[in-house]
Parts: sequence; C-alpha cells; structure tokens
Amino acid sequence: MSANIRPSGVFNTTYAQDLMLDRTWANRLSAWGFVLVLLALPMLSNDGLLGINIIPSLWISVIAKIAIFAIAVQGLNIIMGYTGQISLGHAAFMAVGAYTAGVLVRELGFTFWTAIPVTMLFTGFIGLLFGLPSLRVKGFYLAMATLAAQNIIIWVITYPLASVTGGANAITLEAHPVPFFGSTATKLGMYYIIIPFAVLSFLVARNLVRTRTGRAFISIRDNDLAAELLGINVFTYKLQAFFISSMYAGLAGALFAFNKQSIQTTDFSLALSIELLAMLVIGGAGFSLGPLFGTAFILIVNQVVVPDIQPVLTNFFSGIFTFVPSVQISTAFPPLMFGLLLALFLVLLPRGIAYQWEILKISWKIRPYSY
Amino acid sequence: MAANTLPQGRKINLPKINWQAVSRWATFVGVIVFILWLGDRIGDNPRNYAVVTINGILVGGIYAIIAVGIVMINKASGVFNFAHGAMMLLTAWFFLSFYNTDNFNLIVVIGFVAVTVGLFITMSDWRDIRNPRSLITGAVAGAIVVFLMMLSGDDFRLIRALVGAMTMATLMGLCIERFAIRPLMGQPVFTMILMTLALDRIFVGLTNFFFPSIDSAIPLFNNLSNLGIPRNYEIDVINVIPEIDRALRIPSASVIVFLLAVLAFVAFILFFQYTNVGLSMRATAENQVLAQSVGLRVRSILAIAWVAAALLALTAGVLFGGRNSLGPSMPTLALIVFPAVLLGGIESIGGAFVGGIVIGLGQTWGDQLFQSEAGTQLVPYVILMIVLIFKPDGLFGQKRIERI
Repeated sequence: MSANIRPSGVFNTTYAQDLMLDRTWANRLSAWGFVLVLLALPMLSNDGLLGINIIPSLWISVIAKIAIFAIAVQGLNIIMGYTGQISLGHAAFMAVGAYTAGVLVRELGFTFWTAIPVTMLFTGFIGLLFGLPSLRVKGFYLAMATLAAQNIIIWVITYPLASVTGGANAITLEAHPVPFFGSTATKLGMYYIIIPFAVLSFLVARNLVRTRTGRAFISIRDNDLAAELLGINVFTYKLQAFFISSMYAGLAGALFAFNKQSIQTTDFSLALSIELLAMLVIGGAGFSLGPLFGTAFILIVNQVVVPDIQPVLTNFFSGIFTFVPSVQISTAFPPLMFGLLLALFLVLLPRGIAYQWEILKISWKIRPYSY
Repeated sequence: MAANTLPQGRKINLPKINWQAVSRWATFVGVIVFILWLGDRIGDNPRNYAVVTINGILVGGIYAIIAVGIVMINKASGVFNFAHGAMMLLTAWFFLSFYNTDNFNLIVVIGFVAVTVGLFITMSDWRDIRNPRSLITGAVAGAIVVFLMMLSGDDFRLIRALVGAMTMATLMGLCIERFAIRPLMGQPVFTMILMTLALDRIFVGLTNFFFPSIDSAIPLFNNLSNLGIPRNYEIDVINVIPEIDRALRIPSASVIVFLLAVLAFVAFILFFQYTNVGLSMRATAENQVLAQSVGLRVRSILAIAWVAAALLALTAGVLFGGRNSLGPSMPTLALIVFPAVLLGGIESIGGAFVGGIVIGLGQTWGDQLFQSEAGTQLVPYVILMIVLIFKPDGLFGQKRIERI
C-alpha cells in the first residue's frame, strides 16, 4: 500500500527530482489548480464580491465542512493509515480541541489566532495520555482503550468541567468573532481561513511521511517487531503518532467550533468517531489524498444526496410497507445508507478510492496499453 | 584464577527491591483505604448499600449473557462484534411484535422461513441444496415453524413470539455470516471491526425503519401475580443488620431475569462443552486450518457460531426489555459490556460472567457513591483502562498478548 505509486516511464535522474513533492508537471498543475479553484469558488457564489450567482451557497458551506473533517481524518490517517494503530476516540479529541479553543476565547481572553496553537498543543498532550496503553496492547485492545478515551473525555467535559464548558448545554462563540484582516470574519471569511489550514495540514502530512519519523511510522505499521530490530523505538514513535494525530484533531475541532459558532458534546459522539473511521477507509487508509476523497464522498452523500433522494425513497417504501409510518422510514435512511455504503466499500474496494485514483492515473499515463 | 583472589568482602551488595511484593502490598493498602473511604460514605445508610449491591449483581447477570455472545463470536472467528447491541435491539423488537400481533401475511411468513431454511441447508456449500434428505428435513421443520408462527390467539402468544423471534434471529445470524463476514475471509482484523460497525449502523437503520423509536417494555412479567409470585420480594433483615429499619425490596422481575440469564448461561456452557458442534467450535477457535484438515466444515461452524450469537442477543434483548424497556439506547448497553469481556479475559466464557457481575456492581456502586451518572457512564471505561494498562489478558484469559 505504498502511497507513491508512480507511472512506468517516470524515473528520477537527479537528487533534486528525488526530493520533489510532485514529481510530474501534471501532478503539480492539478494540485495548484485544485487549490485555486477552491479559492475561486466563493467568488462565483451568492455571497461573493463579484455578485455572480452560479454556485449555490450550500456548496460553499459543504466544502468548508469537508475541509474541516478532512483535517481530522488526516490526523486519523497518520495514526491508523501510517502507524497502524486503531483509534475509536478521534471525535473526543476533536471535542477537546473545540472546548479548549472555546474556553480559551471565552474565559481567558485569547483570540482565535493565539488560541489555535495552544489548543493544538493541549489536545496533543491529551492524546499522548490516552496513547499510553499502546505501550502494552495493540490491535483490538488499543481500539478498546481509545473507546474508553471517547467516553471518559465526553464524561469529563459534561460533568466535572460543567462550570466552564456548560455541561450538556451548548456554549456559543457568537460574542467572539474571528479577527480577519482588520475586521471580523464572516461566513465567507471563515471559508478563506479554513481552506489554507486544510491545505497546509495536508502538505505537512504529505511531507511527514517522507521524513525519518514518517518512515518509522510506516515500518511500525508493517511489522513492529522488525521495526524494533532496526533500532526504532516503537513506543516513542507510537506516542509521537498519537501526539501529531491528536493535534490534527484539535485543529479540526477548533475550526469546527468557530465555523459553527457553538459547541455541544452531542456533536462529538461515538457515531462521529465511527464516521471518521469510515471516511478514512472509504477514502483509502495510508494514502495522503485518502482523507480528502473519503470525507468528500461521505459528506456529499450525507449533505447533498440524501436530502434530495430521501422524499423519493420514502414515498417508494411507504408504497411497499403500508403498515410502517413514513416518519420512521425517513429517519431510517441516514444510518442505513451509511452502513450499506461502508459494507459495500469494505467488500468491493477495501483499499479505498485513493487507490483506484492512483490506478486510474497510471492507466491514463500508459494508455493505450495496459499491463 | 585471578578473579578468585580478589577479596570477597569488597563486593557491594545493593539491596534488591522485590517490585512484585511492593505492588502487592500497595494494592492491599489501596483496597483497604478504598473500603474505609467507602464505609465513610455509606456508613449512615447501610440499607442503600445492600440494595445497591443486590441490584448490581442482578444487572450483572444480563451483562454476562451479552458478554457471552461477544466472547463466543470472538472465540469462533476472531471478530469483535460491535453490532451485538443493535442485534439485541432488532431481535427483541421482533419478539415484541410477534408477542403483540397475530395476523401476519402467510406468504411473507413462508417466504422468511423458506429463506432461513435455504440458507441453513446451504451454509457450507450451495450444492447441498441438491441433497434430498436435508431438503425434506428442512421442509418439515419449516412447515412446523410456519404453523407455530401462524398460531393466533392470546394463549399461544409466548410460543408464537419465541418461535418467530428465534427464526428471525437465525436468519439474521446466517445473513451476517454469509454476506458480511464470509467475503472478508483473510482480511485484517481492522476490516472485520469496521464491518461489524457497518452492520451496527444497518441494524439500527432497520430498527428505525420498522419499529417506533420510543421506549416500550416487553410485557412478559406483568402477570406474575397470576402465578403466585409477588411483585416485589421483601427481605426482612432486621435481625442481620440492626441499622436497617425497613425491609429490602427487590423487584421479582429482576430476580427472575437474573435466574433466566444464569440458566441460559449454563445451557450455553453445556452446549459448548458436551455437544459435537460445541467441540468443533472450540477446535475451529483453536486453529482454523488444522480444524479444516481434520475434516471439520469450518464455514458451517462459523455460520452456527453467528446464529448462536444472534440467539444469545435475542435472549439478552428480551430479558433486558422485560426488566427495563426496549429503546434506542440499547446498543450502548453492549458497548458497556466490552470492559466486562476484557476484564474476564477475552477467551474465557466463565470470565465473561465474572466480568459482567463486576461491571454491574461497579456501575451501581459508582452511581451511589458519586450521586450522579458517573457509575453508568464512567466506571466501566475506567475499569477498562485499568485492565488494559495493568493486566491486558484479563483475569482468566490466556496470556498470549505479545509485549511490544
């Protein structure tokens, strides 16, 4: 499952080429083109400065949401796709990020820009704490430890810290807008804050894999005993992976809180942890673009496709099952479709969309021949 | 020779610390401090203490029966079944709907039974469908099941509900094995865990689809007074603990549920230890390749294991639904059981029982001591963390987790 599948015929002849992030000009062009299109999209929407109404503003909010969750899933990719440790508590680390940022801004007088680094560091240390069981256990047992992390963190936020976090009630950030170029950020401004953060975090993750640390992560994933024999301190590197992954989750949580302007524990339930896992698997674990594909797929299905087809399907099924009230049918669709999609991907495409994307790129490069 | 001539007295003997003894004593002291603290908190009201203990044990019985279902699947196929809670909810809803209604469409019932029988016959190989003996046996069994499910009237509601829910649970187990687990043979554990999470979502969706998402109790224990059983057992303990002025009151439904859970547990142990199928299941759990090479049909054994897990889920769901109620919060109940499974040791069925009782006691004690939801929500996971850090293979599990 190498992340660097390269089309045949592309060789490195100099050291500079070996160091390049995007080896072919097509790669480079498509990457920067993609970022430019993302930055240009709001200009074409209703909120944009140009006043052209081509793109529906729903798309803009969905793209911002995709970017936020892609950061979180990229963190999950570092701990799971690269280091091979299962985490069922990623949503709780997002909650830690969101609540830390919220409390820093509301109670301690931080601004958004100073709160973000502190939040990331703090979430990283919390992640380190719950990474400690990885000293002794792995696989399913570690999944159980992270499940415990999910429940313990949410409980601590809800009960003992209720005086600052509001307990089960939501806390609002509306009185503390994000400072942005001399004024405060609107919905559109948040988009222009979120997208660079997402691009930056993807670049960091992509480069991390090429460093000694990243290679150590991958060797732990592939065979932890062999990694230890090669002189890699497995426990230290696992803790580093937990730290970095939780930092990503903290960043995503803080961005989520400021984008939504309110924080609530129900937003970060176990269901979200499972959804993040599903995003990673559907996108492709171990590929740096996997989180983007998976998040985009799940969120577009959830936010755009399901609301569109839900009435049609509800009518269809109430015709067949006349004894079932149609309210039940419409509430049943989100979990049902999510489960079916995940199961189908696990059976048919266990390596995810990113793997297919690499295959597609190669077959385009070597057209009209195939292997 | 030179080494022998060195003066022996110069050797410095550092006192060696026996860490095992130190940790043992530390545990002792910790437990004693905890008990003293406990006594301080509850000393003024020992009646609550007794009630809480009894309640904890009674809840633990249900946890034990859930835990056995999870341990069973893990033993047979190495999968950790996160879908167990959703399976409990869905099968218990089937039980309730068969219990309450009796006018089912004959064609639909025949269709479900036929599919179940067909999947059961072909669970090892689809060519078994051509075997006339199994076909005839299956047809007769199916006809009997259809007859029992179509019985109308209130007198037969328990039989109807039992047979119908067991048929649906069997169908569910067979479908899980055939369409979700079998295609994933040879994939890493992580893929299997994700598949059970997907199954969990699918079953929750199906439950939302067919059944209302409100809490509804299974009226199994409403007519206890007709059988001469009081609604609550009153235990007079004035002579034993003089501080208690009133009698302890325990709902008899809880006691009956606990006894039924113990009965199901014992039946399951007997099945696992003394039948051929149980023996082959244990063999498959030990080594799949070896079991296959001595002629066991591994695929059908896995299918039977999933069917047994679905039946255990049905038992747990119905017992819990009869004691408390059926509702959307039931799937989280199965998550609480995972600490019990790990505490008892993941390979040990007896350990699952002990773990279930410990978790039940921990929950009720935690609720009592902290006067909040700490017990129900926090204590199982704190126990889980402690077990994972200090004794990852549980109390009765095999020591096979490698240290990394």
